[in-house]
Amino acid sequence: MPALNNEIDIDKQRILNRIGYSDDYEPSARINSLVDDYIENYHDLIAPSYSYRIRNIESVDGNRIDIGNSLVLESRKLGSLLERCEMVAVFALTIGNYLEDLVAYLAENGLVLQATVLDAIGSGTAEKLAVQIEGKIRIIAGIAGMVASWRFSPGYCDWEVSQQELLFRALDGDTTGIKLTDSMLMIPRKSVSGIIGIGLPGNDIENYNPCNTCLKKDCPGRRR
Amino acid sequence: MSGDIIEAIKENVIQGRVTRDDEGIEEDTIGQPGVTELVNEALASGVDVSDIINNGLTASMTVVGQKFENEEYYIPDMLASAEAVGVAMEILKPHLAKSGVKPRGKILIATVKGDMHEIGKNIVSILLRGAGYNVIDLGNDVETQDIVKAVREEKPDFLGLSALLTSTMVNMEDTIKALKENGLRDKVKIIIGGAPVSQEYAERIGADGYGADGFHAVSMIETLNGGD
Repeated sequence: MPALNNEIDIDKQRILNRIGYSDDYEPSARINSLVDDYIENYHDLIAPSYSYRIRNIESVDGNRIDIGNSLVLESRKLGSLLERCEMVAVFALTIGNYLEDLVAYLAENGLVLQATVLDAIGSGTAEKLAVQIEGKIRIIAGIAGMVASWRFSPGYCDWEVSQQELLFRALDGDTTGIKLTDSMLMIPRKSVSGIIGIGLPGNDIENYNPCNTCLKKDCPGRRR
Repeated sequence: MSGDIIEAIKENVIQGRVTRDDEGIEEDTIGQPGVTELVNEALASGVDVSDIINNGLTASMTVVGQKFENEEYYIPDMLASAEAVGVAMEILKPHLAKSGVKPRGKILIATVKGDMHEIGKNIVSILLRGAGYNVIDLGNDVETQDIVKAVREEKPDFLGLSALLTSTMVNMEDTIKALKENGLRDKVKIIIGGAPVSQEYAERIGADGYGADGFHAVSMIETLNGGD
């Protein structure tokens, strides 16, 4: 269970976007100072950690991706990425529960504005950590002369959230402290899990985007 | 005098200033009395509690709602205002009974079983409190039988159900079925909200209404409550 240090820097504009502001809108003095204050101090509220395993892909048959040990991922769109890959990195990461405990406390005490801003900072931090893990996997792939794909998480696209349990089994028990609820959500909530495909250059792995051919144009998770 | 202080309360709610230490939408407001100080001052001066609520708090949230609709205000601005109203209502709470002001209705609200997302539910809760409703928040990931039990015991006028996931929104339907089975469905009006749900879904599962956002949920409840 390796832990990262607290040097995860988040972008204020991304946080403002997350709480509903468009890029060209200047928030009020109060909102500005509240966001600045939390960004100044949020490092004390996070305990980031992550876990990953790189597994060989045994076979891909349409929507069924066999990654060994009787672990079979099921998603047609993942299948069309992973059939070009040799390996898959499975990962899980979290920023811990301190921040979300404070969000709950704030909300219970009627401080919903503060809770909303802090929650957005938590989501932004987990996202930033996920980007760091992607970068790490990309470096590892590069050392082996390979390239890495974007990351994909259960619950998005045609990959059922119920597969979260299987993904956690692929981490060989090292879930970096994250637990799954009966409905397959992660605790702490500010956690991200997923896979990254790894394969030889020249197979359109790095920029594979299932959104390009998807007809659901209003999907909130759409990637450009 | 009474009119001046009511007007000041209204303006500070619109500015989202809870205390004199808060900045507002406009700059250079720090140090001037906020909603907390103004409401206390109004009470000390003998201003009628219903006047504070109706002409100071509720009227200001109507303005905030219009600004939100016109995209002058964003969610955080609206929350700052709603929070100021929530604080004012806490200060006024001990004075409500003797002034004859009654809550406009009792509302139970919950994020359904299996779903732990509650920011949207919290926003609706604070807006409803700001509008003068008595809101009982059951939290998130609430078991269906616990919602049924709370409806039986609390006898609310409304039940608000929230879900953010397609995999958990089905539990809204289960909740409505469970209320029917327990003979409670006709005792409470049900409003649903959350990213994956819609008016069509509300109709399909037998809810009374759908709130597309916080203010929409409040106006839906106002309409179902008799249109006042």
